[in-house]
Amino acid sequence: MAYLVQPDYVKYTCTCGQQKPITNLYFCRHCLKIRCSFCISHEVDSHYCANCLENMPSSEARLKKNRCGSCFDCPSCFHTLSTRATVAQPRQDPAAGDAKVENKQSKKMYYLLCFNCRWTSRDVGIPDQPVATGGWPERVNPFNSRVNQLLDFYKAVVQQEKQEKLDKERKKYAIRGKYITLTDKTGLTMAMARNIAGLPSSEGAPSSAIANFVPSQASAEWQPADVARLYPLARPLSVKRSQRCRLCDHNLTKPDYHVPEVKIISCETLKPGATCALLLKLSNPTAHEMQITLVDPAEVPEHQEREEGRTIEKSLEKSLCLEKDMSWLEAVSRKVDVTSPLSVTRPDVTLTLAQRDDAAEYDDDAHTHSDDVILWRKSNKLALRLQVQVAEGAVEGPGARLPLALRYSYRNTVPPASAAPLVRDHVLYVAVLLDLGQVYAE
Amino acid sequence: MAHNVKILPGATVCEDCTLEGDITIGGGTVIHPRVSIIAEGGPIIIAEYCIIEEYSKIIHKKSEKQENPPKPLFIGAHNVFEVGCKLESIFGHIGESNVFECKSFVGTSVRIGSGCVIGAACNLTAPQTLADNTVIWGAENNIREALEKQPSQVLQLDFLGKVMPNYHRLRKQNFHKRQPSRQSQDGK
Repeated sequence: MAYLVQPDYVKYTCTCGQQKPITNLYFCRHCLKIRCSFCISHEVDSHYCANCLENMPSSEARLKKNRCGSCFDCPSCFHTLSTRATVAQPRQDPAAGDAKVENKQSKKMYYLLCFNCRWTSRDVGIPDQPVATGGWPERVNPFNSRVNQLLDFYKAVVQQEKQEKLDKERKKYAIRGKYITLTDKTGLTMAMARNIAGLPSSEGAPSSAIANFVPSQASAEWQPADVARLYPLARPLSVKRSQRCRLCDHNLTKPDYHVPEVKIISCETLKPGATCALLLKLSNPTAHEMQITLVDPAEVPEHQEREEGRTIEKSLEKSLCLEKDMSWLEAVSRKVDVTSPLSVTRPDVTLTLAQRDDAAEYDDDAHTHSDDVILWRKSNKLALRLQVQVAEGAVEGPGARLPLALRYSYRNTVPPASAAPLVRDHVLYVAVLLDLGQVYAE
Repeated sequence: MAHNVKILPGATVCEDCTLEGDITIGGGTVIHPRVSIIAEGGPIIIAEYCIIEEYSKIIHKKSEKQENPPKPLFIGAHNVFEVGCKLESIFGHIGESNVFECKSFVGTSVRIGSGCVIGAACNLTAPQTLADNTVIWGAENNIREALEKQPSQVLQLDFLGKVMPNYHRLRKQNFHKRQPSRQSQDGK
């Protein structure tokens, strides 16, 4: 279960060892593995403007410097600017005093207004426009020709370096995949990696300390020192992404329909040396019956990420020496720490969960069980009562985490590649980490 | 409860609002339901063409160094008080064409000029004087200066004046203007 503003109480362990709530994970239906944003490749689908939702081919986006042609952001607070209409007062012409002529002259004029900080395009002396969208004066970078010169020069440098590298490593050359990745396109590798890791984009002083600096730097070409020189910023485009498995290059799905979901119903107060009851809810989101067994997290088999020549296609790739660069795997994967002062008595039963049935939502109330493990069942869900032992030496304080692993049966519905044998039923493992809150001393 | 509330012709004042003390409401002003205007420290005079939206509170606070007779709180024309804003100023004068955005708070010791905007949820508590055309916005109470006054809400006022009587019980106008409205207050 994941929440928008609350902490994540149940975290799933990704194949690479990252622990994330189920909503932040992906599932590869071909490798049958859980993936997270760390161990997948992000592919750019298309560019679009988040304000006017206009799609733009990437070549055009590059030409427009990844900015929307018709939407603007406020230069002082970066809120999206709105277009406001005014009726222009017709100039009082002493020669023509005719009322009809005056009526014809009055027409709507448009200006830009920020509803957040009330900045208007009139503040900086941009004349009102007769049309609602577009037509705003474009500003040319004073150093445009110089910048282009430099760009051309460095493009040539890049070209040359690439060629040299290619010649040098012709034999060892490895392809990274058939698809262009986000980092390829934007070149923001370092900054993005830092952001994903939860660090600021660059090291240095936090820019919030120097408030006036921020709006100035937002229009990098001009960097106005004066508030009166802040011109509207064309809105940066967003990209639609699709996620692909790095191993098999297939599109990924959300795990919501493939991995059993664990929710915490309630947990008694945790005290060192005590045993307390934990109520969990398991649900089977798949369209097939599922067998679930609770296992020791240490029993979860090591993930085998090395590729086997499963299909003709793959073996062909291998024979052509187009083996994938797998160095990223060592970089991102980590060992999951399963030591915890909490342990759970695992009931030695296999729980069978019925398939998901949307119509069952409207059924009568749950069947209560007198079983000491299963509290109730309702269509594809069941509630478990487990006993949690808290170690004697458990340290008082928050963050009591209970590692748990599930072994579950999974039916693969993806048709296999032509020559591969049809294996439909799989036994998969998923390790979860439950945050049970605080350990209280007596 | 309501003592001495003067409503000038052309004002639209909903019945479901709290008006306490000596209050004068100018012509063309629209007061939405659930508004509280409390003149405990002295009279409140609201000029023409103001919009006072739901749940806003305008309080003329009692103060220790009160003059006798108490100075009125004069609120200029074309002010907009958006939903849930609160104004407690004890200084006698608030300019015109100001916008008090939703949930904003202006404390007792703040002087406000004309054409100012107090942004949504901005709290002004420290003693200060807002110069004309000051805009305060955002969670960090950023300040900037607008070039021109906020445009007046004439269309909105026209619309409200037409629509309000259809859906709300209104207070009756009880004061007839014989002289210009400002002078009519001199009787106190």
